[in-house]
Amino acid sequence: MRLDIHYRTRFAYAGHVSESQNELRACPAIDDRQQLVHYDVRTTPSARVSWYLDYWGTRVDTFGIRLPHTTLEVVAEGTVDTVVPEAVEVHPRRAALTDPAFRDEHLELLQPSPHVALTATIAEVAHRHAGQAADDVVAMAHAVHEGLSALQYAPGATYVGVPVDEVLRAGGGVCQDFAHVAVAMYRSLGVPARYVSGYLFTGDDATGADTDSDEVEVQTHAWVEVAVPGHGWYALDPTNRQQVSERHVTIGRGRDYDDVAPLRGVFLGPPEHELEVDVRLRRLAVGAPAAAGIGREPSRATLAARQRAQQQQQQQQQ
Amino acid sequence: MLARLAENLFTAGRDIERAEATARMVDITYHSLLESPSGERGDAWEQLHEVLGTVAEPDDDALARLVLDRGEPRSVLASVTRAREHVRSVRELVSTELWEVINDLHLTLATTGLARQVDEQPYHLLAGVRRACLTIYGVASDTMPRDEAWRFLALGRLLERAAMTCRLVQVHHQRLEQLSGPSRRLGLGGDPAGLEPGPGDFHQWVTVLKSAAALEAYRRRYRASMDPADVVEFLLLEPDLPRSVAFCLTGARLQLEALAAGRRSRAVREVGRASASLTYRDVSELFAMGLAPFLLDIQARMQRVDAAIAGEFFRHHPSGALHAIASP
Amino acid sequence: MSDLLTGYDHGDLFDEVFAPGGVVRPHYRELVGRVRDLTAEDLEHRERIRDAIFRTQGITFTVYGDDDGVERTFSLDLLPRIIPAEEWDVIERGVVQRVTALNRFLDDLYVGEQAAVHEGVVPRWLVHTAEGFRREAFGIPMPHGARCLVSGVDLVRDAQGTYRVLEDNLRNPSGISYVLENRAAMTRVLPRAFAAQRVRPVDHYGPMLLRALRAVAPPAAGDQPVAVVLTPGAYNAAYFEHAFLARQMGIELVEGRDLVVDEHVVSMRTTAGLQRVDVIYRRIDDDFLDPVVFRPDSLLGVPGLLSAARAGNVTIVNAVGNGVADDKAVYAFVPDLIRYYLGEEPVLPNVATYLLWDPEQRAEVLERLDELVVKPVAASGGYGLVIGPHAQDEELAALRSRIEADPRGFVAQEVVALSRHPTLVDGRIEGRHVDLRPFAIAGERVEVIPGGLTRVALRRGSLVVNSSQGGGSKDTWVLGAEAVPDPAADGG
Repeated sequence: MRLDIHYRTRFAYAGHVSESQNELRACPAIDDRQQLVHYDVRTTPSARVSWYLDYWGTRVDTFGIRLPHTTLEVVAEGTVDTVVPEAVEVHPRRAALTDPAFRDEHLELLQPSPHVALTATIAEVAHRHAGQAADDVVAMAHAVHEGLSALQYAPGATYVGVPVDEVLRAGGGVCQDFAHVAVAMYRSLGVPARYVSGYLFTGDDATGADTDSDEVEVQTHAWVEVAVPGHGWYALDPTNRQQVSERHVTIGRGRDYDDVAPLRGVFLGPPEHELEVDVRLRRLAVGAPAAAGIGREPSRATLAARQRAQQQQQQQQQ
Repeated sequence: MLARLAENLFTAGRDIERAEATARMVDITYHSLLESPSGERGDAWEQLHEVLGTVAEPDDDALARLVLDRGEPRSVLASVTRAREHVRSVRELVSTELWEVINDLHLTLATTGLARQVDEQPYHLLAGVRRACLTIYGVASDTMPRDEAWRFLALGRLLERAAMTCRLVQVHHQRLEQLSGPSRRLGLGGDPAGLEPGPGDFHQWVTVLKSAAALEAYRRRYRASMDPADVVEFLLLEPDLPRSVAFCLTGARLQLEALAAGRRSRAVREVGRASASLTYRDVSELFAMGLAPFLLDIQARMQRVDAAIAGEFFRHHPSGALHAIASP
Repeated sequence: MSDLLTGYDHGDLFDEVFAPGGVVRPHYRELVGRVRDLTAEDLEHRERIRDAIFRTQGITFTVYGDDDGVERTFSLDLLPRIIPAEEWDVIERGVVQRVTALNRFLDDLYVGEQAAVHEGVVPRWLVHTAEGFRREAFGIPMPHGARCLVSGVDLVRDAQGTYRVLEDNLRNPSGISYVLENRAAMTRVLPRAFAAQRVRPVDHYGPMLLRALRAVAPPAAGDQPVAVVLTPGAYNAAYFEHAFLARQMGIELVEGRDLVVDEHVVSMRTTAGLQRVDVIYRRIDDDFLDPVVFRPDSLLGVPGLLSAARAGNVTIVNAVGNGVADDKAVYAFVPDLIRYYLGEEPVLPNVATYLLWDPEQRAEVLERLDELVVKPVAASGGYGLVIGPHAQDEELAALRSRIEADPRGFVAQEVVALSRHPTLVDGRIEGRHVDLRPFAIAGERVEVIPGGLTRVALRRGSLVVNSSQGGGSKDTWVLGAEAVPDPAADGG
């Protein structure tokens, strides 16, 4: 599927602010089911935007506006081709999770992180779900995924930073909460899990259903990926009780929200500001490659090499 | 030179000057009142507050407030404390001797038990502050090269002093005009055979001159005369009196010209204009156009000088606090 | 004849001055001869001179919460520590080797392929769980790979007199200002003793550091790169050193708010406008360096700094994220890193270290807690250190539960019987434990300033030398090659 993405954030400050410095994570990732056709970031007031790939492989666009301004608008536009993820054809037993090499490789994604506390409650609920599944990592992942359907999608009910226990107690939240709870449960079970930030082409945020319209207004979305021994990463969208499809566009992955927050920044001036975010996705009538594996998620070494090349390129441009 | 440090030196220059002037004027007011009827006391302190730009609080002990009150940002103690902090931040740029005298003054003022001393016998402490402030400039003047650091320190002092003398003349001129009428020297007094200035007025003009540390110099120049025109001429226009407004603004212009180092400079232009409105001026012109509007005009010009300096030399200093944006 | 050294207790540990049997080691003969001629009054007089020098130079450090403007002077012992040329040669080679390997390791982690991790030289999880591992620094280049441009390697001498590495300081090692000021004071307090030996100079540190800082300027900087020292401000305990270094190098001492990033270029705010900055020797911790990336509430740092560094427009010195390599558990693997990257055997051995996440090692350590030293892995300055033989039972019990709760958070080491050195205490000369922190500078190549900071534990029997914990210092004299008489020819 080819999608045009239009991401826009607008800040209205209470007065003149200056020396604003920001980082944007909104660019579709290049990996085994996504190919980036085009991407561009513009700001008003205008600033020089430079970018890099961070530790997790996410493209980060950075920019600063030194002179006084009262509003700031950031527009990111891109085009991406996506395919359906490769099906999982292996069914490793749970014992494979305890393999020392497997655990060592994924240690960062087995530990708690600021938004992913591995609490007793999380562990208990996770084990209850897992207990109903066969001795198979994929089945266990599905059991937890299904179990999360007890939570209700409640738009605007929470802000990022609700502790996972609190989400369980409240019985629901927004997609970030679903993702954090899911990641916490998987890690509690010894399944390496990462938080994914992205876009979902959907007509309905609550169900994630496909739409007849070719253009939709959405919010940034979040889901999870779990490591399946012998397969690789397997992506699930707990908010919409779906597997990840070609309508999911991945921006980046990390331990939790903090590693992939769409926009971070600081500025000088009065603290009050209003924030507007809108995201529009448009389906293009172009036949994208149907086969899986159109890119490859880069290894750490590839990432380092890519980064060096990109730095040289940017320096030459200067 | 870093803008922050330049501004710290400039502010330190202002604060030391203010501490010295405040100590001097508090001392003079306090002692002149010992000989005055008690009814004038409130008036005198009120005038001093006006000159210093401080606000009298009801039932306030003006003496304690202006000298040792940390809560009054323009008190002697607050000014010295601030000056010490600022000089501490630029220790690399000033001489060790300068730091030591400022630190000593601060340590003296921070001694406990001073409040009682001020209440019972303020002369010793106030004279000590004045001497220490003069020592600070003497030491700075004799141990620092004429570099940017020196110039910003000197500039702050000169501009503060000019502003203080202006307010001194402004406040007292209004009062005295009500009492003794306009200058007789300029023939503005109407009836030439009218009243001679009364002893009370004479006493007040003496206090004004003392407040500007200019009485001795005035006597040498004008002998026994105590005409408002002479006093105003001396305090505003006298090119050779270190506390006259003309002297300070000329000095400030020279410092700014050196700091601008040949660049086009709004600060130099503004200080040049302010200074030119005093040089080559005859005191009769001032009275002809009205002293009060003239003083307001010169003060407005000095504010433009301050703004121009901030805009030109300190403008890159960040303003406001740093905040994180709310996550979308 | 009785003198200040009469009755000196040589103890049974390694004494720097006296060989077993009380014989003065050859490289100390000159000094000991002079000390024997001094009376207690002489020394007291010289101590007064020393104090006067320090006070007029303003060589002080502020104690936190001190509001009266009184600053304490650093405590310099009048008896210098002397290191003969052949001993120094070993130390120098060892420090250069170690710093070279650590720089290779850090470059491998942050801009390389993490080969040492992939090949299992250092456990991957150890790196990933190190507090000092900064994922935010991933991909930030460092010219010449000089990530530890300034490092301090703490050495101790065991009972056999072997120099061992106790820990590495690769983030913001401090103390070099005391090395230089101690030397300046000693040449005035004991000029004749100093002149009688060929002591290698240290006063080229400033130019050496500046040369290294300029050598790591980004390629875009041009021929005359502008370097600055970035300090948290006058209230920082090490502010004196920050100002001292800026003065020694003749460069600007700035605070975070003096710098601004525009279009990924860092400038300082001067009275004449913005002036571009190419290299920042920062004495601010990683966490406070850039509020966009690290703590958003930091007022000490410079927003956008990391982005500017990544764009290749400024070099941050020391590099961000060095804490992963001076983690006290990673320390245990440094000898392996030396072998891996350099293909050499370590010149300076480590102190035997136990890794507490290993169940067997942990069990053994918990068994012998009262015989070992336990350190938190990420702290510096001697904070959180527990010396088993000197600890109370309750302290050990508390330590035991802390270790069990967080085995990755601590390491245990055998107690090293630190060497002792005669030291002036209350008008008498007594043996006190010492260590040595040589300072290395890596620019185009790694250099070590001769000597370093000898810290001395002023309390009798204490093994803690950190100045924040009541330690003093000694001037450290490294002798030129030809200055030491041949011990064999001398007849012992």
